[in-house]
Amino acid sequence: MNRKTMFALALTGAMTLAASTAVFADYDHEAIENSGDITITLMVSGVATDNDFETEVLPNLIKEKWPNVTIEATKLPDDNYYTSLKTKLASGECPDLILTQPMYAGQNSCYALAEAGYLASLNDLDTVQGRQDMAAVTYDGDIVTSTSGVSILGCYYNKDLFAQAGIESVPQTWDEFLEDCQKLQDAGIQPIVMGDKDQYVLQFGLYQIAANEIYSKNPDYDIQLRSGETHFTDEGTWDKVLEMYKTLYDNKYIDADMSLGYGASQSITDFIDGKAAMTFDGSFNAPALTAEGAAGAFERGYFPIPGTEGVYTATCLGAGYSIYSGSKYIDQCKEILDYWQDGHSDVWKAHLATGRIIPVYGEGAETVPNIDLFQPFIDLMNEGKGFYWCNQAWPAGTENEMEVLFSEMVGGQGTEIEDITEGMQEKFEDLLED
Amino acid sequence: MADMPKKKRKGANTSLVFTNKMYIFLIPALAMFLVFWIYPVLQLFYYSITNFNGINYDFDFVGLKNYSKVLSNGTLTNSLKNTMIYAVFTVVLSNVIGMAIAMILNTRIRFKGFFRTCAYFPALFSAIVVGFIWSYVYMPGAGMIGNLLTNIGLDGTAFNPLGNFRTALYAIAIVEVWKGFGTTMIIYLAGLQTVDESLLEAGRIDGCTEWQLIRKIKLPLISSTVTINVILSVIAGLKAFDYSFIMTNGGPGKSTKTLMFQVYETAFTDMKMGRASAFSVMAFAFIILITVIMLFYLNKREVEL
Repeated sequence: MNRKTMFALALTGAMTLAASTAVFADYDHEAIENSGDITITLMVSGVATDNDFETEVLPNLIKEKWPNVTIEATKLPDDNYYTSLKTKLASGECPDLILTQPMYAGQNSCYALAEAGYLASLNDLDTVQGRQDMAAVTYDGDIVTSTSGVSILGCYYNKDLFAQAGIESVPQTWDEFLEDCQKLQDAGIQPIVMGDKDQYVLQFGLYQIAANEIYSKNPDYDIQLRSGETHFTDEGTWDKVLEMYKTLYDNKYIDADMSLGYGASQSITDFIDGKAAMTFDGSFNAPALTAEGAAGAFERGYFPIPGTEGVYTATCLGAGYSIYSGSKYIDQCKEILDYWQDGHSDVWKAHLATGRIIPVYGEGAETVPNIDLFQPFIDLMNEGKGFYWCNQAWPAGTENEMEVLFSEMVGGQGTEIEDITEGMQEKFEDLLED
Repeated sequence: MADMPKKKRKGANTSLVFTNKMYIFLIPALAMFLVFWIYPVLQLFYYSITNFNGINYDFDFVGLKNYSKVLSNGTLTNSLKNTMIYAVFTVVLSNVIGMAIAMILNTRIRFKGFFRTCAYFPALFSAIVVGFIWSYVYMPGAGMIGNLLTNIGLDGTAFNPLGNFRTALYAIAIVEVWKGFGTTMIIYLAGLQTVDESLLEAGRIDGCTEWQLIRKIKLPLISSTVTINVILSVIAGLKAFDYSFIMTNGGPGKSTKTLMFQVYETAFTDMKMGRASAFSVMAFAFIILITVIMLFYLNKREVEL
């Protein structure tokens, strides 16, 4: 299938699905009871910790619920996970349950895997019935990833340093944001620290500005990008976003001389040590960014970078779990996913307790760690002001070109805004080819 | 009639130690070599003419399109340039330092066993560990070198080798040299220990200076060791990947993207496995070409010396 039409098809499918989900509730809800002793394999990415949820807690809780089910879980660092996943898919030995990302995000993107026929349809899961927010995990009419959480991009800030610079409230417009940066700088405080040596962190700021300046005006921008109606080079779109972000470097609110040699973890350390007032990062890094550093337990806040005409947010569905289409235990996996994601089971509560997901429904959603930081973003999303992260809709690799060229620009290599947008467009078209 | 001794066929295996049956024992090793080396290499050629994305096996043949794309999109030029600079820098530095230290540690000094161990010590760590350690050594401001500079009254925050487009490649090459010179030194040391002491003695009696002993006796006698070391360093330099991946992720910009890093990125970030295979085939041919040229040149020099 042509990939340009595929994207449109997927979204159309999602809408059709939303209207007709009620008729799909027909998988065998007693599959586990009738199975005898079975082993379900699960593979996720990440680094296992003490009493790890996926590798220890989940298998134990599932065993308690269904003594005949053994969950054999493997957790691998990201790169190993991607390589292992591809190898296992190629050899037909894929685990029954795998971690996948919405749309085209990453090498485990649910659209790419669904296109290749590797994912089972989850339309008949009880926990997806009636949900209207599943478009990003729906391919060609089939929900292929079960996810209950969102991921947020925003700006963490140090309330003490804001007060020290005389800033009383979080900015509501881009101009106010720049004024606040200036106040901080005038007070001798580094306004923003970023770890641009890990170039992916550039996405944390740029996608927020894009939500304000592009998607709020044209939510179909990426669909049109694939059909050729819009281009990265269109005036007032990415040129504006890049120009706005560049302003932060031009004024040394982000110091490129430092940031290009700083890793992501080093910038987090600087923030919690009180060496900078703000840093752009995701909800997934909240535990590290709210930890106590050399500056002690100062109060932290989290706000969406405002745009020129209001505040929108880059908040979207997070990663979730898919069932391998070649699994012998598809219905059994569905029972497990339904139990896990039902909003009140022990597995659900244990998953919430990890603090790694921000659920959009269910018991305890209001008690997850740092929910007070995230609530304004969830509210914005519920008001229809939340947009997915740009790279979720782009073929993987487009964002890397953007990061590389932006680094060259702020690093004084003579790269201009139009070089970046042209480079992004060229890369986008190249990646869509074939 | 008495039995006549059987006449052996010309060329027949008459060895009592390595009989024909012994070839059976080669089969497992040969099978593994075929399965794990020859077959993947052939697969590489095969994928290089397809649009395989690493996931979907419903791919098409695209002829030589991947090769022309690699040649035309500029990634090959940039990564080739970075790789050559990296290789030349690491080959020269690791061999000069390795040989100098081997010469020193081949003399009669106290604690030379301890010093030899120290020099080889970095080679024992994995590239991941070394990469992380050096990321902190190079970190602007709070890093080891930055701190030292601050302590002596200089601006430690201005020291940012990994964040500078001009210095990043050399900064990671220095790490490669730091980790690798111990191995080079050990090989030189082994070579130097084969030099007959009587030749050096004769040279001294004839009034040779230390430099003349090195230039006229030691170096010619260890020329095969030099060849081995240089070739190994060239191959390692041309295959550079670890520190670009761990310390800079190819940045800032594209300044530390080497051939192998570019192959990795094309395959696993852009998900263009077919194009990455074409890239690998070209890199493979390039590395073989350079290695063969170096080998011929150094062998010729060995004979001249």
